[in-house]
Amino acid sequence: MTSAAAPRTQPAPLQEARKTPFWKGDRLFRLLVGACALLVLVSLGGLVLTMAVGGSKAFATFGPSFVFSNVWNPVSNTYGALAPVFGTIGSTLIAVIIGVPLAFGAAFWLTNIAPPMVAGVVGTAVQLLAAVPSIIFGMWGFFIVVPFMAQHVQPFFRHHFGHVPGIRWLVHGAPFGYGLLTGGLVLAVMITPFVTAVMRDVFAVMPPMLKESAYGLGATRWEVMRRVIVPWSRAGMIGGVVLGMGRALGETMAVTFVIGNANTIGWSLFAPRNTVASLVALEFPESAAGSLKLSSLLALGFILMLLSFTTLAIARWLLREKNA
Amino acid sequence: MSEALQDPSFPPQNIDAPEAALAVRGLDFYYGEKQALKSINMDFRKQSVTAMIGPSGCGKSTLLRIFNRMYDLYPGQKATGSVLFDGANILDPSLDLNTLRSRIGMVFQKPTPFPMSIYDNIAFGVRLHEKLSRSELDGRVEDALTRVALWKEVRDRLKEPATGMSGGQQQRLCIARSIATKPEVLLLDEPTSALDPISTARIEELLDELKQDFTIAIVTHNMQQAARCADQVGFFYLGSLIEMDSADRMFTNPRQKQTQDYITGRFG
Repeated sequence: MTSAAAPRTQPAPLQEARKTPFWKGDRLFRLLVGACALLVLVSLGGLVLTMAVGGSKAFATFGPSFVFSNVWNPVSNTYGALAPVFGTIGSTLIAVIIGVPLAFGAAFWLTNIAPPMVAGVVGTAVQLLAAVPSIIFGMWGFFIVVPFMAQHVQPFFRHHFGHVPGIRWLVHGAPFGYGLLTGGLVLAVMITPFVTAVMRDVFAVMPPMLKESAYGLGATRWEVMRRVIVPWSRAGMIGGVVLGMGRALGETMAVTFVIGNANTIGWSLFAPRNTVASLVALEFPESAAGSLKLSSLLALGFILMLLSFTTLAIARWLLREKNA
Repeated sequence: MSEALQDPSFPPQNIDAPEAALAVRGLDFYYGEKQALKSINMDFRKQSVTAMIGPSGCGKSTLLRIFNRMYDLYPGQKATGSVLFDGANILDPSLDLNTLRSRIGMVFQKPTPFPMSIYDNIAFGVRLHEKLSRSELDGRVEDALTRVALWKEVRDRLKEPATGMSGGQQQRLCIARSIATKPEVLLLDEPTSALDPISTARIEELLDELKQDFTIAIVTHNMQQAARCADQVGFFYLGSLIEMDSADRMFTNPRQKQTQDYITGRFG
């Protein structure tokens, strides 16, 4: 002990950094973590490049009309992205419109109203639900939601709204059960627990004193929520919605099972549609290497990535720093 | 000092002074199974500052949170006994909490500006309870900010977010926000514990002016602060009110040995 401590009586001499024993380890560590970060950039660039190069043949053949044409005809070898893009955006919007208010309500209840014991149990259940693989939602949608839509929801809407001007076109079509709304519904069920989990975490980190300040002024729970909790949590809530949207945009299996897979565009919520991810998954195995069809599918992948990036960019814009 | 321990006049039972804004009688408080306050009897006089001192966990903040029923937000917390305020028992479950809290304001240990403009922060509480015209509301906001000596500093940036102010300004904003609803009682829970000495001094000066119009109850860890600002001081220890007296008497000649030990820094 004393012998080990003895050299410490002399202060360590100042020396060049390169000569200290840890210099190499430190440098190695920096290189390693730097490489990890670089790998992220390389993968992103590689993905974009793969899609762009693979899809270049489609873009070259059809030009801008690839994006604006809703024809998808392997027989005549003409392809356009509009129908699946329409289905992707449509089903995602439906999912967000239905799922986000539900998620907000559930998260608010869990963090602000529920007794801690109950909140713990339900909170865990929400996380379990968020971890359910999407294929499960697909099968559930196929066996439960599709028949339910066909037998109850669609006849009901057709009967009651089928003649209302303006709304008539939304409920138009045969009651197959498959369709844009069914796809959106399944997606909503899928993203709700996901968004709930994120929003719950956002609400949970809010300082209790801030809430108490609002209650202390005599605000009701509704007023505290609307005027203090929501503005304070805005950034985190938008983050949660964007994560949910990202999941809905790219979801493949759950949608493929229930959306009907028809490359069409129209007002009807009940008509079969298609999404980008679903179309690619279905047609990829039937596309020959080097074919225009395969190139079109890769071009679709490129467009899907653009859609995701746009969503992210819009979120960034919504969260931009207001001049303080 | 040993005779003081047997002082029969303590705890005082007959302090039903008519000038009491808050009269606490036989108050017990529980966090679940754990009792945090034990049969407290205490009066808070109108237009004066009453300070509560004592070591951490002695129950002084808990008492403050009973007066505006803040504990109601948390299941499992329970108070028994009575706290009389304007002829009603604050603990009465049928009481309208929103009205109660508009009449008993609270300021917290750290500044808690809402994520909105300076103006909207002050107007927040007023808008909840009163329908005022724009000009009346403007007047109320100016008045509240003037009273906390903040008006001149922020009059040109009322529309800016309150979170951009300094810590001391934010805390004065929170006091202004509380007094804008014209409460009768102001509860201050260690209001300067997160502030620098200059901001602290400004808030202490403020208390002296505010007590003309409000009954002030302040919890503080800082004995000098209690000596400087308070008219009456109550010393709490392990959930009991050990001694309550005028500030002069408490800090020069306390009756209880525990009080003496605490204010001379021998424990706590």
